[in-house]
Amino acid sequence: MNKKIGVYVCECGPNIPERIDIDKVIEELSSMGEVKTVKRYSLLCSNDGKKFLKEDIEKEELTHVVVAACSPKEHENTFMKVCEEAGMNPYLFQMVNIREQCAWMIPDKEEATSKAIKYIKAGVHRVLFHDPLKQKELEINVDVLVIGGGISGIEASLSLAGPNRKIHLVEKTDSLGGMAGKLSQILPHQGSKIKLVKEKIEQVENNENIHVYTSSDVKEVRGFLGNFEAVVKSNQENKEGIEEEIKVGAVVLATGFEMFDLKENPVYGYGEIENVVSALEFEEMIHSEKIELKNGKKPKSVALVHCAGRKEKGYCSKVCCLYTLKFAHYLKDNLPDVDVKELYMDLCLPHKQDQSYFDQAKEKGVEFIRMDEVEKIKKSGDKIEVEYRNNDKADKVSVDMVVIAPAMVPSQDTSHLAELLNLPLDKSGFFKELHEMLDPVATPMEGVYITGCALGPRNIPESMTQSHATSGKILSSLIPGRKVKPEVKVSEIKEDLCTGCQTCLSVCFYGAISYDPFKGVSVVNEAICRGCGSCVGSCPSGAIRSKHFTYYQLYQEVMEALR
Amino acid sequence: MKNQNVLVIGSGVAGMEASLILADAGMKVHLVEKDSLIGGQTIKFEEVYPNMECATCMLAPKQQEVLQHENITLYLLSQVKKTEGSAGEFKVQIEKKARYVSLINCIGCGACYDPCPVSLDNEFEQGMSQKKAIAVACPGALPNVPAIDADNCLRLNGKKKGCNACEQACGFGAIDFTEKDETINLEVGAIIVATGFDQFDVSGLAQFGYGKHPNVYTAMEFERLYAQNGPTEGKLTLREERPIKSAGIIHCIGRKEKGYCSGVCCMYSMKFAHFIKDKAPEAEIHEFHTDLCIPGKSHQRFYEELSKKIDFIRYEDVEVKGNNGNLEIIYTHSNGKRDSIKSDMVILSPAMIPSKGTKDLAKVLGISQDSMGFFSTQDQNLSPIDSEKEGIFIIGCAEGPKDIPDSVSQAEAAAGRILSLLQ
Repeated sequence: MNKKIGVYVCECGPNIPERIDIDKVIEELSSMGEVKTVKRYSLLCSNDGKKFLKEDIEKEELTHVVVAACSPKEHENTFMKVCEEAGMNPYLFQMVNIREQCAWMIPDKEEATSKAIKYIKAGVHRVLFHDPLKQKELEINVDVLVIGGGISGIEASLSLAGPNRKIHLVEKTDSLGGMAGKLSQILPHQGSKIKLVKEKIEQVENNENIHVYTSSDVKEVRGFLGNFEAVVKSNQENKEGIEEEIKVGAVVLATGFEMFDLKENPVYGYGEIENVVSALEFEEMIHSEKIELKNGKKPKSVALVHCAGRKEKGYCSKVCCLYTLKFAHYLKDNLPDVDVKELYMDLCLPHKQDQSYFDQAKEKGVEFIRMDEVEKIKKSGDKIEVEYRNNDKADKVSVDMVVIAPAMVPSQDTSHLAELLNLPLDKSGFFKELHEMLDPVATPMEGVYITGCALGPRNIPESMTQSHATSGKILSSLIPGRKVKPEVKVSEIKEDLCTGCQTCLSVCFYGAISYDPFKGVSVVNEAICRGCGSCVGSCPSGAIRSKHFTYYQLYQEVMEALR
Repeated sequence: MKNQNVLVIGSGVAGMEASLILADAGMKVHLVEKDSLIGGQTIKFEEVYPNMECATCMLAPKQQEVLQHENITLYLLSQVKKTEGSAGEFKVQIEKKARYVSLINCIGCGACYDPCPVSLDNEFEQGMSQKKAIAVACPGALPNVPAIDADNCLRLNGKKKGCNACEQACGFGAIDFTEKDETINLEVGAIIVATGFDQFDVSGLAQFGYGKHPNVYTAMEFERLYAQNGPTEGKLTLREERPIKSAGIIHCIGRKEKGYCSGVCCMYSMKFAHFIKDKAPEAEIHEFHTDLCIPGKSHQRFYEELSKKIDFIRYEDVEVKGNNGNLEIIYTHSNGKRDSIKSDMVILSPAMIPSKGTKDLAKVLGISQDSMGFFSTQDQNLSPIDSEKEGIFIIGCAEGPKDIPDSVSQAEAAAGRILSLLQ
């Protein structure tokens, strides 16, 4: 192909000509071999400017275009679009920043002009070696695999299921409901006496677009956004070991949490001392409406001990203060003479209604005692003593029953699933968000989302909100009849140079590279690669190149600038 | 819901996220913002906890996406004045104030600022710096196009007829004094309210000496003081430009008065200590706190790291007094001991309260406010983002105090709810 390059210098009003002699730029550039035309324009990004550019590209029958103007951050996309509209491949375009990097930086006009000329020449040299990259489009499957049948997984499934979208909901135990299903009541100030979980399970069972797999595990997940393949293995009695392969477009992990094992720290006396119970055991007591000591008597005094495992795990579990308040309310409402003491470190009541719930508990006579930490829980005659330390002073309370609120910890499956799906974990062992602030339910694997306590401790409304959030992300990216457009500027591996050392596999954040044991080389999955270039830098044999940022292109650009 | 148009009110981090997800799904989004720029409160922060990421850098790509998205129509300097109808068929009236600067022609070069003869307190900078009657709120504001303050522009308020200093300076013909306020009527299927929060006014609490002693700052003032694009370009100094040798940061200002914990102040107060240590490593810093509310999974580690470097004091009560130009923090420790500390600077961390226009907007939308003044939601368990009216969703701090990730989650959830209904 005969290369015909057009160079367009934007004046950006007075911004560029004030410091750069554009006539001189045109004169210098016109003498370059493949440059067919060099033109100036007052404001190329204006509608008139874009029209001029499009018509000129067509008139001059250009194959490549260089625009010297502002920062590519401002208008690279604008001009690539114009090139495409003019019938060119948009990747045969290069933008050169002569505003921020020349006109606005260098007070001396001669110096600024000579730097601008070098930059533009470098751009021309680079664009000659650009490849005409093509945007691919891939067919998609819009169905979704949801792993975990707790309240988060249930809510995500209900929100996602639709006439054109099937949901595969996989639960490892024999029934749906998860941890929330074990709770006696949701916090009264968050809506009392609702049979939330039961109602939701019925909705799932009655939804013909949700297929539930109970007593099942996900054995394998391969693929990328719009095209995942998963293997679900049944552990059900009559179907044990039967594997089913399903195809989906996205995966939602809703694997929840477990409770910190109180036996890990002997100070709590859990499992050793009678009438020292965990929060979940107390929930069961409320469920059966039987708050009783082992001897069948009603307790006259109860201590609610917060923050068990907080120090060990290194984080606050956010929900314990509130649910121990729920216990205190329940005790005061049902055993009017009971003496309730809450032993807390810091009261964490971060939602707008929480404080009044706390104030009400105080009004009912619940005693709040601050402590730095529990020193020992031990038996003393008929009573249990909780020894604690506050402001460096030792003190204790003596009660009939102790309820301990343990930290929430990642569920057992977390690390296994992380390995299966190539997902990172955070320091606490929960799944890590793609971006803690701005992308709280996404993961580095596009098309794999996480909701609820699999990401860290949170309450039921927050978990359900996140399930709707995953649904928002999926419903806006997997639309029936649409195709997905993967990244164009991806990495590619030269098989004859690759030694199969697999260094690139370890640096790829997105899990886009795999190893082909038959050929002995690494392979890039272009549908997953985001073109970050980490693998390019890591490859000891120089076998990987990043499309549109090849060594050769950069070399040509730099050499011309340094000439 | 047949109408595939959605109205989003407020262009902070929550409003932007909801708009982008819906727009990506092919919905037509009408995004209404009362200010001349987008980004809300988050863009005022230099860095956000716990990873100390630059908030402006973090949000800039989102802001650009909002500005360029073909399915998002942005109405700046605009407010919703009327709504009628119900889910699926809301009729909405928007009042859009004139900007007097063309968003199409202006390239944001800033040549018009200097010639303008009027200087004003810059509200975006909490009044800590001046701006001209034609200005952007801060460097890096998006869209990077100034607006003319019609109340203060000499030509528009009639004080100096024919002043055209900015018009003269503009090389792009972007100034248009003839632009008129507009009334826009829309029909939308759903409404998302993302009007954010304001800071509790601390000037009513005399014990903290705000307004009386110049070196008592509010949290938002301190955020701007630390910001590279703020009034001091990030130089941390006292008002009289003395370096900071000691600072006291007081948590829970207004908690008692408002009756709730704002959930984020402990962390941002600790972030402030980290900021000061960063720029004045020798400074002595005291955090005066009550209960530490640090529920994020990585927040406690941040606290543990910081507590090696600075003093945490659990207080029962606290007040700030002036003492010959210096400040004295007098407090009762949780162990009952009364004590005091001298400090160059005091930063007050006030409660988050509903944003100013909440009451009016609630009326316009026909929905109610809760006892704390935030928009009411139906049921905290089943639908924490549903207002009492079908088709109207409340997200982010308009629903109650929360951090950025929770706001983003709610935004994505509102989009999810709407898209799910349309399936």
